[in-house]
Amino acid sequence: MENVIELQHVNKAFNGFQMKDLSISVKKGFVTGFIGGNGVGKSTTIKMIMNLLQPDSGTISLFGMDYKKHEKEIKQRIGFVFDDNIFYENITLAEMKQMIKPAYKNWDDAIFKQYVDMFELPLKKNIKTFSKGMMMKASLTMALSHHAELIIMDEPTSGLDPIFRRELLDILHDLMQNGERTIFFSTHITTDLDRIADYITFIHNGQHIFTKEYYKIEEEYAIVKGETNLLDRDTEKEFIAIRKSNHGFEALTTNKKRTEDIFGETVIIEKPTLEDIMLYTKKGRENDVQSRS
Amino acid sequence: MFNLVLKDILLQKKTLMILLPILFFYLFTGASTSYVAIIFCIAIIMNAFALDEKSSINLLLNSLPYTRKEIVSSKYIGAIVFIILVLLTIFIGNWIIHGEIIQWKQLLFTISIVAIFVSLSFPFSYLLKSQYLMIAMGVSFVIYMIIANKFIPDINDRIREAVQTVLSFSNSQQYLLLFLPVVILYSFSWMLSIRIYSKKVF
Repeated sequence: MENVIELQHVNKAFNGFQMKDLSISVKKGFVTGFIGGNGVGKSTTIKMIMNLLQPDSGTISLFGMDYKKHEKEIKQRIGFVFDDNIFYENITLAEMKQMIKPAYKNWDDAIFKQYVDMFELPLKKNIKTFSKGMMMKASLTMALSHHAELIIMDEPTSGLDPIFRRELLDILHDLMQNGERTIFFSTHITTDLDRIADYITFIHNGQHIFTKEYYKIEEEYAIVKGETNLLDRDTEKEFIAIRKSNHGFEALTTNKKRTEDIFGETVIIEKPTLEDIMLYTKKGRENDVQSRS
Repeated sequence: MFNLVLKDILLQKKTLMILLPILFFYLFTGASTSYVAIIFCIAIIMNAFALDEKSSINLLLNSLPYTRKEIVSSKYIGAIVFIILVLLTIFIGNWIIHGEIIQWKQLLFTISIVAIFVSLSFPFSYLLKSQYLMIAMGVSFVIYMIIANKFIPDINDRIREAVQTVLSFSNSQQYLLLFLPVVILYSFSWMLSIRIYSKKVF
């Protein structure tokens, strides 16, 4: 399967934080959700994918090309959507379009108009009067109007009202129908991903934890609940992290089958949410560090 | 890349429309054309620069299919375009109002002064920010005053003399010879800005 974005062994030390040997690949024709807590390197990764930052070592390639030689070709094929306002404030959307349009070979006015109508965006109003939702819609419209093959979004759903969030996810879903497009977006609202993500890429503290198909995560990972007395040194090793309370324990396993075999009927096994996975992974890593030091 | 220059002109459309009558007003009052031209050129060029300085705008420009080299180059080419626009307006305005044709030597002098200013201020602004430019100018003025008072008391006269000598050159070759260092300075500044901007983090 073709990879649209490929990061290989990327290292980057930056403002007192480090990306360590990061290797990520994003497959063509799918939606990949990019998750991780605050300050774990999501934005830095996206900036490196956009060539706003250069890695200290390692390679980054998009569409099989590297930025050093093919910067313009690559950017022609990408649409970026930002959650902040990145447009000039004192001009109208129509004027903004006039400035962006000549940059792209494949600009399509018909599509631009279609989305402007659909999103009910005012063409003649100053951009600084736009609300956050409108800004996001405008940014998306620009990204879609030049037939981008890859759409990269940094936290697109944060700060949007729930109705528009649903609408946005539906729009993204429709965009994926022809199988040629790829969407890569970072988020920490993990419920958004249930609806559209095919793959999940999870990073923590500058390290790649996993990239998995969404349904596989549900098959492999599980939340296990049971009596605390079931835990001993051996069984504890089965879990990424464990939370103990007076009523029993709750833990995350990466191997649902094995856990079922070991504990059988004595525990309750539940489907984990992405939040559970993020939480327990963070906890597990912290414990790791503590036990080693 | 020329799209970026065009973008700068479009962005300043309104400002230019406001500046135009002011420019003509100055011409009517008979102020020195070189002086007016230098002030207007610098104001317009630095305004175009400042508009693109916000980090969000840098994000936008860098996400569009332009290289950083082109983004910087567009500013240097844009500066030349703005100089030509202002001088052309003043030239025509002066011709209509006073029926005078500005000497090409005077134009060359104006271009040189603006080009030197741009050559110094662009790399500085890329390195820091254009808002610090005023501070830097203030500091350089103080240094200039100290030099003038302590070391070379007649520095003002000397500069005035030098300008007069330059303007009184009769030979056009001499003029071009003086213009050459300006071109070299401008090109050097251009390269330097590309280097600085390429390493910037947004």
